[in-house]
Amino acid sequence: MKEICITVNNEKRYVSVEPNEVLLDVLREKLGVKSPKCGCERGDCGACTVLLDGNAVRSCLVLAIEVEGHSIITVEGISADKLSTLQEAFIQFNSFQCGYCAPGIILAVTELLEKHPHPTLEEIKESIAGNLCRCTGYTPIFDAIMALTKVDQHTTDAEKALSQDRNPALQ
Amino acid sequence: MKDYKFIGKDITRIDGLEKISGAAIYGDDIDFGASMLHAELVQSTQAHAIIKSIDISEALKVKDVYKIFTGKDFPYKFGLYMKDRYIFAQDKVRFVGEQVAAVVARTPGAAKRAAALVKVEYEPLPAVLDQMEAIAEGATLLHPDLENYPHVPWFFPKPGTNVAHWRKTRKGNLEEGFAKADFILEDTYTVPRYAHCAIETHVAVGKFDYSERLTVWSSSQSPHTQRHLFAEALGLTHKNVRVIAPHVGGGFGGKAGVTMEIIPAALATKLKGYAVKLRYSREQEFINTYQRLGVVAKIKMGVDKNGEITALDHKIYWDAGAYVEYGANVVNAVGLSAIGPYRIDNVSIDSVCIYTNLPPGGAYRGFGYSEMLFGLESHVTRMAKTMGMEEIEFRKKNAIMEGDTTAYGAKMNPNGLIECIEKATAAIDWGNKPVPSDPNKVVGQGFSLLWKAPAMPPNASSSAFLKFNEDASINLIISGMDIGQGYQTVMAQIAAEVLSIPPSKIRVETPDTDRNPYEWQTVASHITWSCGNAVKKAALDAKEQILTLINRVYNYPIDDLYLEDEAVKCITDNKFKLLLKDFVVDGIMTSDGTFKGGPINARGMFMPEFSSTNGDPETSQGGHPNVHYTVGAAALNLEIDKDTGKMRVLKAALAIDAGKALNPDLVRGQITGGLVQGLATVLFEDMRYDANGKLMNPNFTDYKIPTAMDIPDEIIPIIVEVPQPDGPYGARGVGEHTMLPAAPMIANAVEDALGIRIKSMPVTAEKVAMTYLDSNRQQKNHE
Amino acid sequence: MAIAHEFSYERPQNLHAVLELKDSYRNRALIYAGGTDLVVNIKEGMVKPELLIDIKDLPELHKLCLDNGTLYIGAAVTFTDLIDTEFVFQACPMLHDACKTVASTGVRSRATLVGNICSAVPSLDSATPLLCYEAVVHCASVEGTRNIPISEWFLAPRKTAIKDREVVTGISLKIPKEKSTSVYLKLGRYGGEDLAQAGWGIWLNNAYQYRIAHCALAPIPSRAAVIEAMLNGKELTPQLIEAAVALIPQEINPISDIRSSKEYRLHVSGVMLKRGLLAAIDRMEGRVVEPAKLLGGIT
Repeated sequence: MKEICITVNNEKRYVSVEPNEVLLDVLREKLGVKSPKCGCERGDCGACTVLLDGNAVRSCLVLAIEVEGHSIITVEGISADKLSTLQEAFIQFNSFQCGYCAPGIILAVTELLEKHPHPTLEEIKESIAGNLCRCTGYTPIFDAIMALTKVDQHTTDAEKALSQDRNPALQ
Repeated sequence: MKDYKFIGKDITRIDGLEKISGAAIYGDDIDFGASMLHAELVQSTQAHAIIKSIDISEALKVKDVYKIFTGKDFPYKFGLYMKDRYIFAQDKVRFVGEQVAAVVARTPGAAKRAAALVKVEYEPLPAVLDQMEAIAEGATLLHPDLENYPHVPWFFPKPGTNVAHWRKTRKGNLEEGFAKADFILEDTYTVPRYAHCAIETHVAVGKFDYSERLTVWSSSQSPHTQRHLFAEALGLTHKNVRVIAPHVGGGFGGKAGVTMEIIPAALATKLKGYAVKLRYSREQEFINTYQRLGVVAKIKMGVDKNGEITALDHKIYWDAGAYVEYGANVVNAVGLSAIGPYRIDNVSIDSVCIYTNLPPGGAYRGFGYSEMLFGLESHVTRMAKTMGMEEIEFRKKNAIMEGDTTAYGAKMNPNGLIECIEKATAAIDWGNKPVPSDPNKVVGQGFSLLWKAPAMPPNASSSAFLKFNEDASINLIISGMDIGQGYQTVMAQIAAEVLSIPPSKIRVETPDTDRNPYEWQTVASHITWSCGNAVKKAALDAKEQILTLINRVYNYPIDDLYLEDEAVKCITDNKFKLLLKDFVVDGIMTSDGTFKGGPINARGMFMPEFSSTNGDPETSQGGHPNVHYTVGAAALNLEIDKDTGKMRVLKAALAIDAGKALNPDLVRGQITGGLVQGLATVLFEDMRYDANGKLMNPNFTDYKIPTAMDIPDEIIPIIVEVPQPDGPYGARGVGEHTMLPAAPMIANAVEDALGIRIKSMPVTAEKVAMTYLDSNRQQKNHE
Repeated sequence: MAIAHEFSYERPQNLHAVLELKDSYRNRALIYAGGTDLVVNIKEGMVKPELLIDIKDLPELHKLCLDNGTLYIGAAVTFTDLIDTEFVFQACPMLHDACKTVASTGVRSRATLVGNICSAVPSLDSATPLLCYEAVVHCASVEGTRNIPISEWFLAPRKTAIKDREVVTGISLKIPKEKSTSVYLKLGRYGGEDLAQAGWGIWLNNAYQYRIAHCALAPIPSRAAVIEAMLNGKELTPQLIEAAVALIPQEINPISDIRSSKEYRLHVSGVMLKRGLLAAIDRMEGRVVEPAKLLGGIT
């Protein structure tokens, strides 16, 4: 058992881990971060996606011990103050049904939009080709991202575009 | 048409914030810290064998192992429609993957290490892996005691054989029907098994405390059914069993009824004071939960020269697996409905539920209708070609209309089948194929009808509690499950419409059987209809309480009062307006300072009192087993690479008669998602077993579901609305139906493009390419 | 899934320390970089190492450069690194093509090319460019270094020429000086992430020299020497392509498995070789080629 320090959602966390513990289990069981989900345990489904130093990775295939000194962002991290415009677009376009794959997909797309603020449909598809969704048929996910990225990427404009949300609960 | 405020509107989902912010709690998120024990299963390596011995001595030595349990600890049977199943295998195992023992340990790793050390000695028995072999003379029997198994009265097992249930439906005179036919076409279609592939695997936590109280948290579509089966199997009173269902990470029928959840429930009863968790790995999810049943369907259809179907003989042989406690009802449902959405006077249907040494079959979105329609809708297209009639015209001519009789003699409900056909074909410009994108490719058009009724016991019911809070927000307490379809939102819309409260002010939580009223199950696409009726009644009850109170205090006649904008108003006194938040909990103060009224708490219940299963066992005539059918039509343009066989759906349109789309955006979501799931079963997926009954692809590497790069270029969802008379605002269910037409539509499009007919699912690129190659070779040989 | 197997973990800060550990643990220690194969294999009990040696702290193993016509790829270079690096595509289009077909973005950001070739599965997409560009695998041990030509690297399914005490430090590819190009075609069941049912890599230069390699069609990824010999020196014509396709049964030895039947692999190899050769010509002549779309099924 070794104590390591990981920056989880911008907070330094100290946790003791065994070498054979994967990041997903440590986040969920030892650090109480529950949004990364377990779907396949072998990197096929993407439900456990987190951002490791800004890159989307499969937390079920990363040993926790190696993340010492690195930064992890999960959906809790990007929802802390308020939802991101991407998350709001997901709600507006019904881009989820059961919601189990949503945290992973949101993080994969967050990475994509960091790197390519105006992705093509093809780039969008490729960015989430490793995130399986059984409910939506993906189309509503594309719709949300396309609508979001068609508007100017300046945050204020994007927020404006989404502010005509139909759900008063979001405002 | 009446103008509604919330019904028929694209209301944003009320569970969106939770799910998108990461706040939603799923079964795997239930945490009991140090008092949590973890279970791991020891599973059969044999398809059929006698258990000679189980040696747990080495496993018990593993550090952190707490206890190990086997079948001896739980000699109880359970089952939804037929009690043919044990919590752990007793003397015999009947499929590879069946649970034989469970190790309970302090950590999941220790449980796993120990489970590998449990030694089970088997004496193999001959295994039957194919349903046609299983019904052959002299086949090994899976359940020699079949005659002693309790079952619902509408099942007809054949003791001494592997037939667990045989649904016979007979109408008219088959021989005469075929005698009248000018064209007869007969063929066989096969469908393999399929896996649901919800991204969340099955998970349940059981906790039994020193007061004999069993609580189970489970990822479930059926919390009340689970409570009932747990209580029955474990000998507990219902009041001491509580099932709490957090959010479900995808169901598709796989989390209906009871599968693995009974294991942690049972284990918990012997682990007082602890919580015990069992979470399936993806491999376990593939090998030991319900699967979609495999099918061999023999269809013989007769048509006269006018294009009228004169007779249908439909024999469907189901590979139902080792235990059929749920799957037999799939067989039953299709046995009543295997005429498809057609008006046919002379019908014979045999739907035969057959035990095999493969994992138990059970509910899967579509409940057998996908499997049935693959054969039937392929056959109908071929029948039309055989007799020289355009296939759409042929279908229109024979389409079932309101008032026509179904195969079992009941009348067909109002429906928009013809409108669906017209809209779906128009959407893809039927008859005008787009030009392929390069010379290696060809384009075909495919079409299919769909229909399905909820398969339920005649007394399946729903109920609802509704309570007002001080600010006139509402807790709507119901026990259906939002498995993604948007149930919570739609139920909130119904209550909102009646009570003039916006849906965003209504909280719908996931079920807890202690606190929420009874719901049969979230299956059968019946929940919008059934629970919607219950919610509407509860809302009307609340409204009546409110108006009665106002009448008592202010003396306005009840008939003059109405609700609008969260207030009570009066048609005869436009100055009167009392905000709901001013009295729905605290009551109304009268002139003498006393209060009248009090918290508004309402209830509603719905049971389809016209339904019955009292049909004749030999003909199925006489009962009213299905409450109604939902119908639809779909068409697509399919581009095929002639050499590789790779297919691309250019455009697919699916029109469905929702009765009334309470939330059109959610209906469109069901159409898109369901159609993609249906296309997955025909283009990509199938479960492959080796000669020993072992699944060869129990993972997302080789049983993959479509990725974002594998979906149609364009999906056109079309909503048709012919109201269901007994539905809430005219609504009926659509959730399962959206995947039904996919498979025959692809097979029909492949034939249209390449002239080859594929009669077995899946229709993969490989199968298309190789069949086309063969047909070209044969043609050359002829020349 | 908790990993049932227990092991220890080291993260050395220099190559010498890596080699020392590998020398003392031999096959009881495994190198850990991306972990995308290794962690799955450990979870499923296919390997049971006593020690994992994490090599990601070694800067020299992250080296990716093109110097004097040699493309060098360090052992910790990921598929994403390769895809995102413009000179990789320019120098070796087939490698770029192949990397883009491996798994999906979330896996490629961790998985390494070197880790990939160490797995030595028959369906190894990345093997075909390495075979066509006659790559050299650089191994090191406490005793020194050893360069293994890629043609001698794959010995059998999941078996390579590396020795117990050795560690792969990198791979280098010679980029031909003359005008040349290459393309990789993969047939999978899915448009998204999938293992290859068949893979064909084709290289050619302006002197009508051809190098052709395949994966998932034999026990190990291999060059198609008979076809190359027949084609070399000849300009492509429809007849020549047909003649090349006719030789396929001599070159490959496919099996039937869960992903494809032997017959389909044989049939589709002809289609792929033909379309691959034509695509290579297109690239040679400056036309844009999108390999993912050449076999149908995708927009």
